[in-house]
Amino acid sequence: MNISFYALICGFLVLTAAVASEIEDILSAVISLSVFSVLLVIAFVILQAPDVGLTQAVISSGLITSLFLVAYSQTKKQGLWGKDGN
Amino acid sequence: MTVIRLSYGTAILIFCIGLYTIISKRNLFKTVIGLALMESAVLLLIVTSGYIPGGVPPIIPINGVAVNPLPHAFTLTAIVIGASDVAMALALIMKLHQRYGTVDLDKIRGLRG
Amino acid sequence: MPRLSVFPRIAALFLCLSLGWWLWKGIVVLEEPEYITGPAVHYIEKTAEETGASNIVAAILFDYRALDTLCEATVIYTAVCGIALLFAKSKYRKSSIGLSFIVKRGLGFVVPFLLLYAAGIVLMGHLTPGGGFQGGVVFATATILFCIVYGSNFEAAKINPKAKEFIESSGAVLFTLIGFIGFCAGAGFLANVAAGFPKGEVGSFLSGGTIPLLNIAVGMKVGAGMSTIFYSMVKFLEVRPEESPEVDKP
Repeated sequence: MNISFYALICGFLVLTAAVASEIEDILSAVISLSVFSVLLVIAFVILQAPDVGLTQAVISSGLITSLFLVAYSQTKKQGLWGKDGN
Repeated sequence: MTVIRLSYGTAILIFCIGLYTIISKRNLFKTVIGLALMESAVLLLIVTSGYIPGGVPPIIPINGVAVNPLPHAFTLTAIVIGASDVAMALALIMKLHQRYGTVDLDKIRGLRG
Repeated sequence: MPRLSVFPRIAALFLCLSLGWWLWKGIVVLEEPEYITGPAVHYIEKTAEETGASNIVAAILFDYRALDTLCEATVIYTAVCGIALLFAKSKYRKSSIGLSFIVKRGLGFVVPFLLLYAAGIVLMGHLTPGGGFQGGVVFATATILFCIVYGSNFEAAKINPKAKEFIESSGAVLFTLIGFIGFCAGAGFLANVAAGFPKGEVGSFLSGGTIPLLNIAVGMKVGAGMSTIFYSMVKFLEVRPEESPEVDKP
């Protein structure tokens, strides 16, 4: 395994983590977290761990992202009924 | 700079980014994102600690040197428990929004007066 | 909203980076291993003849350290109970009617393959990477797709929430009953080959003793649990405005 390919994956991991942490819009941060999880799956496969990679892919990209989106859409809806919220 | 040292350095850096997100952001969703980042960094650290350079995955039949399978078992448990507690944190955020009308931490803290 | 002022943010960043430097100094002195030491040596050499399974990680999770897996299933159960408790009193005004006709028909083609994939991951957990946790979450993803594409009323009519509760509890009870069979046979709790379960030959489908049965139990529990979590959070959606509690204004 070439070290420069793994260095590229690690660089993108740090970059997507920084974007998920700093960006102001919550929707963009959640999508960036999902991209981070997929890159982490690639890193796990390079480290010869296929069990762990399969679990991380299914749980973190499928379940956690959809739960985040449900929670985000709930906290946007109740402001429409005349209450003084955000 | 070998594979193992690069992994350790990346995991520590992501852990620090997650910790910075938790302690200095006002939106409650950012806190949960920081928690997920910290947990993912710890998982990368654990899996790297069992890596042997030039190894093969731990599935019979093994031709070569197999990597250490104990960190993999521990990491599977940690992934599922991490997902459960992110789900619980999001449910608490939804109830907080129903009670206070906002997800901004300064406004919620300021209500106690 | 004004951002936080500059000085506390720089102090927080400096604190986190100094923690990172301190962790790096601790980790960099570890030496890189050439061969494995510790209990993993016994697990790699003796799994085929003591357990009969091909996947060493599945053998560790469900045979050598099965008690930890039982406690992890309890953690998932507690999280599901907590989330269902938080949203117990929500009233449900209406559900969405789902997406358009093309998406509904298209999903009808995809769902059998998705369920087959999930069942394959669960049942072949002792031969290939996979197991109960991964397959259970793929099952839950199929019910989440139903909820999104067809609307929550349709999904609640097809799979009753009480049925999900029953499946989850019976998964936990099945796990514990298999453990008690080990008690009755004289070997420890959750014993595998020593309690009389057939070992089979390495690589065939019927091998591994209790490992396929425990995979099915954990798959049922995790799948029903995650599906209940999603359904509780979506059901909270439409609270009538005159019945919601008072909001404290800032």
